[in-house]
Parts: sequence; C-alpha cells; structure tokens
Amino acid sequence: MQKEFPVFSLLNSALNTISAALLIQRWYRQHVARLEMRRRCTWNIFQSIEYAGEQDQIKLYNYFGFLMDHFTPASSERNLISHIFRKNEICLDTEWERYFCYKSIEVTKSYTGPHLTFPVTFCGVSKLVEAFKHKEQLHARYVLQLLGETWRLLRTFPNISHVIACHTKPITICGDLHGHLEDLLLIFYKNGLPSSDKPYVFNGDFVDRGKNSLEILLTLFGFLLVYPNDVHLNRGNHEDHIVNLRYGFTKEVLGKYSVHGKKILKLLQMIFSWLPLATVIDNKVLIVHGGISDTTDLDKIARVDRQKYASALRPPKMKSDSYLESKTTETDLDEWKQVMDVLWSDPMPQNGCIPNEVRGGGCYWGPDVTEEVLRRNNLQLLIRSHECKQDGYEFCHNRRVITIFSASNYYEVGSNRGAFIRMGPDLVPHFIQYQASTTCRELTLRQSVGWTERSALQALREQLFVHRSDLISAFQEFDPNNKGMISVTHWASTTERVLNLGLPWRVLRPQLVSSTQRGMMDYQQWIKELSITEPKLEISDNSILDTMYKNHSNLETIFRIIDTDHSGLISFKEFHQTWELLRSHLKTEISAKAIADLAQSIDFNKDGSIDINEFLEAFRLVDISAHN
Amino acid sequence: MAEEAAAPAAEFAPAEIEEFKESFGLFDRVGDSQVGYNQVADIMRALGMNPTNKAVVAILGNPSADDMANKRVNFEAFLPMLKQVDAMPKGTMTTTLRVLRVFDKEGNGTVMGAELRIVLSTLGEKMSEVEIDSLMTGQEDENGSVHYEAFVKHIMSV
Repeated sequence: MQKEFPVFSLLNSALNTISAALLIQRWYRQHVARLEMRRRCTWNIFQSIEYAGEQDQIKLYNYFGFLMDHFTPASSERNLISHIFRKNEICLDTEWERYFCYKSIEVTKSYTGPHLTFPVTFCGVSKLVEAFKHKEQLHARYVLQLLGETWRLLRTFPNISHVIACHTKPITICGDLHGHLEDLLLIFYKNGLPSSDKPYVFNGDFVDRGKNSLEILLTLFGFLLVYPNDVHLNRGNHEDHIVNLRYGFTKEVLGKYSVHGKKILKLLQMIFSWLPLATVIDNKVLIVHGGISDTTDLDKIARVDRQKYASALRPPKMKSDSYLESKTTETDLDEWKQVMDVLWSDPMPQNGCIPNEVRGGGCYWGPDVTEEVLRRNNLQLLIRSHECKQDGYEFCHNRRVITIFSASNYYEVGSNRGAFIRMGPDLVPHFIQYQASTTCRELTLRQSVGWTERSALQALREQLFVHRSDLISAFQEFDPNNKGMISVTHWASTTERVLNLGLPWRVLRPQLVSSTQRGMMDYQQWIKELSITEPKLEISDNSILDTMYKNHSNLETIFRIIDTDHSGLISFKEFHQTWELLRSHLKTEISAKAIADLAQSIDFNKDGSIDINEFLEAFRLVDISAHN
Repeated sequence: MAEEAAAPAAEFAPAEIEEFKESFGLFDRVGDSQVGYNQVADIMRALGMNPTNKAVVAILGNPSADDMANKRVNFEAFLPMLKQVDAMPKGTMTTTLRVLRVFDKEGNGTVMGAELRIVLSTLGEKMSEVEIDSLMTGQEDENGSVHYEAFVKHIMSV
C-alpha cells in the first residue's frame, strides 16, 4: 500500500511526528509542574520555620515584659529581669564617647589587614571593599573609629530621609542583605559603587544569618560617611541587638573580635537605634523595611524620638530618675506601634489590618490599607523588603506595593534570586536580578530543587523531632487500643495541630514517612526513624532533653543576654534563676532539683560556672542519618 | 496511531482528594481558596496528569483570553475537571518509546538531538527555546545524539 500511494506514507509519517511532539511536550510540562510544586512546598517549609522562630522570640520577650509589669519577684530575680531589659544603663553621650574611644588601641606591625585613614575617602572605602573581598579583617581600632564616626553622623539625620530623583542619577534601591557579602559585591559589580552620581537606598536587614554581616555594615557605613547625602540606610527589624543574639550577628562579632567585641556590639546597638526609619523619593515613593498598618502616619513617624527604641521588641520605659517612677505613657505606646509596624509588617491579599501573629510583631495589612495610607500621605508607591521572594522581587496590592529582596540563595543554595531596583525621575521601577555563587548556576532546575528540598526536609525533621513527645501524645488520642498505628489523614491533621506551621502534610508525606499500609502508618516507628540525635550527655530524663532541644534558640538568647561581659560563662545561680523564670513560659514540669543536677553535669570545667557554648553544643541536634 | 483506550472514569479515594486539595492550596497566591484559569493546567500536571493545553481549555469551556487571565475556580469546581483529565489516556513508557522510535533512523536507540529540538519547537504545542534548553540539558552526548530510553525515563520521573 505504501509503495503505491506514497502520499499515505508521508501523511502517516507527519501524523506520527506530530503525535510524538505532543506526547513529549505533555511529559515535559508535567515534569516542570511537579518540580514547581516541590519547590513551593520547600519554600513553605523554610518560610514557616523562619517566621515561627521570630514569633518564638517575641513571645519570650513578651513573657519577660509581663513579669516585669505584673509581678513583684524577690530582689534577685528582679535584678535578673532588669538585666535583660538593660533598664539601668543610662549614660550621657559624653560618657559613651569616652567608653568607645579607639585611641588607646594600637595597630601593631604584625597587622596585615587594611588600614583606614580618617576622614574616610572614596578611595579608602573602595580599598576596604577589596580587602573584604579577599577575606581580610579590619583592625578593631579602625572598626571602632569608623563606627564612632557613623554614630555621630546618624545622630544628625531625621527619621525620614528625603531624596530627589534626577535624570542623570537614577536611584538604586536594595533590600535585605543578611550578611551575604557576595550579593553586595555582585550588586556593586553590576551597578557600580555608591557615589554622588550613584545614590543608593539600603532597606534594612543588613545583618544576621549570613557570615559577613559586619563587613556589610562597615562597607555601607564607609560609603555613608563619604556620601552622606547620597547613601540612605533604613533600619530593618534585624537592626536590633536582641534579635541579633538569636540570629547570629552577636556571635559573628564576638567570634571575630574577642577582645573588643563587646564594645563594638554596644556601639552598634546605639547605631541601630539611630538608623532612620524611612526614605521618601520625590514625596511620592515610600521605602520602609517591613511595611505599614492602618494607623501609619508619616508625620508621627517624623516626630518620634527614634533612638529610644534600641530594641523594638519591647515598649520603651521612660528614663527613670531618682524621684519619679518610670511609666509608659499612651503616647509612648502609640509611637512604639508606629515603629513596630514599619519594621515588622507584611502585606496580605485580603482587605483589612490584623496583628501579625506569625512574626509576633507588626501587622498584616491589605490592599485597602495600602490605598488609604498612600492617599492620606499623598504617595503613589510603597517599596518594602522583609520577605524573601523567589525572583528577588514581587508586586502586590494592584502593583502599589513592591517587595525587594537582595540576598540570593537565602534559604539554601539555589533557593532564590536576589534583585535591586533602579529608578529615575519617572519613578518607574526597573528590576535587575542576580544569583551569587558559581555552584548554583551549574545545577539544572531539578538538581537545585532537590538540593534545597533536602535542606528544607532536614530542617523540618528537626522540628518534628523536638516536638516528638507532644506528637506521640496527640497521636495516641486516635489510637485508643495502643496499636501504634494511625491513619494518614489523622497523622496529617494532628501534626499540623501540634506544629502549627501551616504546611501541606499530605503532599509532604512521601518524603517524611517511609511506608504506609492501606492508608495507615506506624507512628512510633516513624518517630524513631527521625533519628536526629545522639545525646552527648548522660541524661536519662528524656523530658529534659526534649525541652532543651525544643527551646535551644530561646536558651541561647537568654544566656547571651545574662552574660553581660560576653565571657561565655554564666554562674549556676544565674542558670537556676533563669530556669525558674522560664518554667511557666516553657510549660515544663522540670523540677528545681533536676535543673540543679543538670547544671552540675554540664559544668564541664568543674569551676561552678557553665560555658554557654559547650552547653549549647551538648544540646545541638546532630543528624545521625546524615552520617550513614 | 494506536492509543490506549480511555480509562473508565474512576472515583478518587477520599485520602487522594484531601491530598489534591492541599496541592491546590499551594497554588493559591491570592488567599481566596481559588486558582486562576491559567493555572489549572499546571496544577493538574502537578497532580500527575499530562493533558495538552488544548484539552484543558476545552474542559474549562473554551474561555476567552480575558477569562483565562482573570477568572478563578475553587476546588469543588476543579475536582470534576481533574476527573475528566484523569480519564484521558496518559501515555505509558511503552507508547512514548514507540513514538520516539520513529526518529531512530539507525535503529540503535538514539535520536538526533537537533531533530528533536526542531520538532518540539515547530510542531504540536510548540515549546520555547528556554523550555527546550531546559529539557535537553545533559541529554545529548558528544555526537549530539539522545539515548531516548534514558531520556524518557528522565522526563517521566520527578
């Protein structure tokens, strides 16, 4: 047939080819969609764990605040709490100047790092950036001198920076950097260094999480000193010494500067409180780190005494003097809310304005609030940061709000791109995206999704592990005959109830649970398989272990606060007192004796004090399965 | 072209439906428990289906371009559409290998990468250059040939 009627064979062949194309295209598009779903799951995991951590810290702070306000503890405990809120540290600026004086610090001949001359010049700061690129460290003397100059300068700035957009000088706006020096260097490479011809706005969260937070600060402050009218820094929620205790910046500074770290941290604490809260371009574009709420009022924000808010995590008390009791007035609370909202809020798709329970501070605000606040303040656009976005930026609220995020690979290598905005006098934003690190460019989409996913699942397994006692009790409610089995449906709803992370458990199940039979799973076996830890201490009491694991970050924060001289040691007494205070917040039944025994066992040096780092190491979760 | 017969419309198990609902929620970027018409095809694919775009448009009732961009659908309306797509033949490893064999001129288990690229970009529901690059990365050997059994295993798995 084919020989006699060649037309048929041609037609047949063409049809075959088209069918082939269609089938392959269908499979390809399915493959991509499934990868996309995995990526979204992974993203949700990282984000919910991140925000749950922030919420946790704020809850802890509120708890101590509650104690301060409502409870007349014995004098020793009151001291401990006052300590935590640094109530008694009130000094004049002149006294601080003396304390921060760098002049007595000598730069010896053996120092091979960069030198800085003052007043700083563009050349000096560029050389500093080069030095940081080569992983050099700046001498403590120069650090203190640079920070001192920065502090003096920032005190002269208003709460809101005003910028005029100009044809010849488009403005560059960057979002969160979080210690990712490689991203800042990439931005400078693509866009040029800051100068009077190249104005920049940096929208907060320069520190924490990444390992070069200090280098980023020194770079930004250096350029700020050279071009004070063209470099604009907004404060972020991580420019806060209490948050830094938990998220790594404090540790970074103390690790790099063992002798002068404490002074550097103190000076930074003051600098953070003096950072401006907002930048406005041409009276039309508002740039703040977090966002707004329905009560956001730029006039009020312009008038607050911003340096009172050293840590946004607690409403400020007035400076007490010997005659008057310190009182928090209504105005104080109103101002505090203005500041918190601007630093911590997130947009939501629905109309309205509700407290941001996920983060623990600020609000969730809707498109109607955006319209109202923009209208009221005569603005046309809101640019904010605070939330990681896969493409580095995202529009919302009918394109009236932009989220700009500049730390690429934030959750994991390959997780997201970073971006920055260039804006001219037409106030139209142009986005430039990038991704630091050479390794991730070589990964295929599938490999990069897999890599990030593995990391997220690991983090999630840790969360499941620390909640295992709560999970098992909750599962047992559905297993009255104690068979050790539970349906997948009950597993999913119960796990969500206990962990409260808002995750798609049924979708994640194949990655978390090795086997099910007819829709049922063995939950005792599953918990065992999570096999995260290998206790380093001889502690038979599992509930103590579990409580320590679960509250690891909180404990670290508290201990570092108590350790005021940053010696790395706290006394038994302080440990015991802290525990007593934390007991009701952590809802734990652990007795005073159990704690005393624990303290004894972790006195590794047998000198009556506890080494914080060793303590935290002892309770750090180590994934055994990773070694197999 | 021999195709599999359409499978009888099977009911989804309740547990399956719960899982679909969770996945559906992952694609809701607005927070109204709905997804856009233009997302429906991808969600179905994420749930293990592999319809053509044309098939999905038909199931959506042949909406206008405007509707595709703006209309949204909730899970209850989505589920019957998913069932319809589930009943369509998906193609198996065997059928997919068979269609590729058409391009295997030498009968040695390989096809020319270049030929595949041209076919995918000009026929059927055309793929863009970016999509084709993403598909073909690492699949062509030094002679530009694709070993299609491995290739099919690659695109059919996740």
